[in-house]
Amino acid sequence: MSQVVVRGLQGGYAPGRAALTDVSFSAAGGEVVAVLGPNGGGKTTLFRALLDELPWRRGEVGLSGRPAYVPQGDRTRLDFPLSALDAVLMGAYARTPWFRRIAARDRAAARAALERVGLAAEAGATFGALSGGQRQRVLIARALLQDAGVLLLDEPLSGVDSVSAARIIALFSALQAEGRTLLVATHDVGQAAGWDRVLCLNGRQVAFGPPATVLGTETLRQTYGAELVVLPDGTAAVGVGHHAH
Amino acid sequence: MGFPPYLERALLEMLLLSVPAGLLGSWIVLRRLAFFTHAVGSAAFPGLVLASAWGIAPPVAALGTALGFGVAQERLARSGRLAGDAVTALLLIGALALGVVLASDVFGSGAEVDTLLFGSLIGLSAADVWLTAGVAAAVLGLDAALRRDWLAAGFEPGGARALGLRPATTDRLLLAAIAVCAVVALDAVGALLVAVVLIVPAATVRLVCDRLRPLRLGAVSLAAVEGLAAVWLADALNVGAGPALAVLGGSVFALVALCAAAHRRWTT
Repeated sequence: MSQVVVRGLQGGYAPGRAALTDVSFSAAGGEVVAVLGPNGGGKTTLFRALLDELPWRRGEVGLSGRPAYVPQGDRTRLDFPLSALDAVLMGAYARTPWFRRIAARDRAAARAALERVGLAAEAGATFGALSGGQRQRVLIARALLQDAGVLLLDEPLSGVDSVSAARIIALFSALQAEGRTLLVATHDVGQAAGWDRVLCLNGRQVAFGPPATVLGTETLRQTYGAELVVLPDGTAAVGVGHHAH
Repeated sequence: MGFPPYLERALLEMLLLSVPAGLLGSWIVLRRLAFFTHAVGSAAFPGLVLASAWGIAPPVAALGTALGFGVAQERLARSGRLAGDAVTALLLIGALALGVVLASDVFGSGAEVDTLLFGSLIGLSAADVWLTAGVAAAVLGLDAALRRDWLAAGFEPGGARALGLRPATTDRLLLAAIAVCAVVALDAVGALLVAVVLIVPAATVRLVCDRLRPLRLGAVSLAAVEGLAAVWLADALNVGAGPALAVLGGSVFALVALCAAAHRRWTT
């Protein structure tokens, strides 16, 4: 059964000025969908539409419950006086009444989430003092505490160290096995080839389907335009001009 | 031997003020709202001039102008044509200029300008102290209800809605609480020195504190100690409490900053 169903989605940041058009796809429980596209191509706009945060949206969006969102690590303030555990506990804020302390079971779940991402020993460390990869794993642990069926991950592997990348990819497999649906924004075509579906965006939906069908040179050229580099062996790579968006 | 009544009221006022000042001061420092806080206090100046000239209750007039400043600031900043700090600066200059023109040219109340800008503990009434007590209780309640929202919205600007929170509403309440707290601080420290009581203690504690709870407790405690010491100094030296608090708070900040820098140097 599909956990994410999107039909004829268009949306943007001002009425009538669409940043993204003609998006239709679905994803079942246990699937990982790679969302490919250039900077400004609509990956973050899609996520904001799924979170119902776009000022202007048309089309049909069906989700099995509220999704959890994992931002890029550089969207957080590193000078805030809070620990890794404090950051994870934010995942329980929405379900905790203002007059109650965060429940003991949520505190235990937060510690378990940190353990799942390999950071149990860093629970008391200041968030801003962690490495970029560790901070990204803390934000994933926060999404785990939200216990959502659908996770939206905005370039979770960009700029992270190899240890964190390996942990995160292993975690994706475990979350798949639990029946969760993951939408992962990425620029890494090689990683996308290993996941279940690929959604290509460039202001509109260029393609959606299994990697073997979608990841051809022509589709990638339509998605990335001049940023696409075709290597001598015929494989495609995205140019190096990307930056966090 | 007891204190004279005016000094008792002044000491009590500063003690009560330390609660909202320390709690909100922590958020002001963490959420980078120091310039807004300074500006909203200064923006109350024309309201105080009008109150003095027309016989309106000063807190009512000051609150009206401070909230008007806040609404204008949000509307102009939201239009996206000017950066938020540029809007704040323009409104701050406009409010100060309007206050000076009203005080000197319209109502001829120039002699009171010093008191309006830098405060006077002698003029504090029992009603002023009760008002501060009410604001302290209200800020305690608001902080208890919304501190998680304020923390999440500050930690990840633009990301709190994805956590199921309502940052637009809760952030407006934070700005309104700062405006109200600035207004009740006006009597003691004046329109120009609101930042001294709302920002300096929290900024000082922040230099040596990397957790939220001790930061808040420390900011409230330091605001209380500095406030009481400033009242005593002001009375002993026959100077305004606002300037006394500014000199004291600035000196403590500088000392803590030097000690923190020395500690970092020794430990690295």
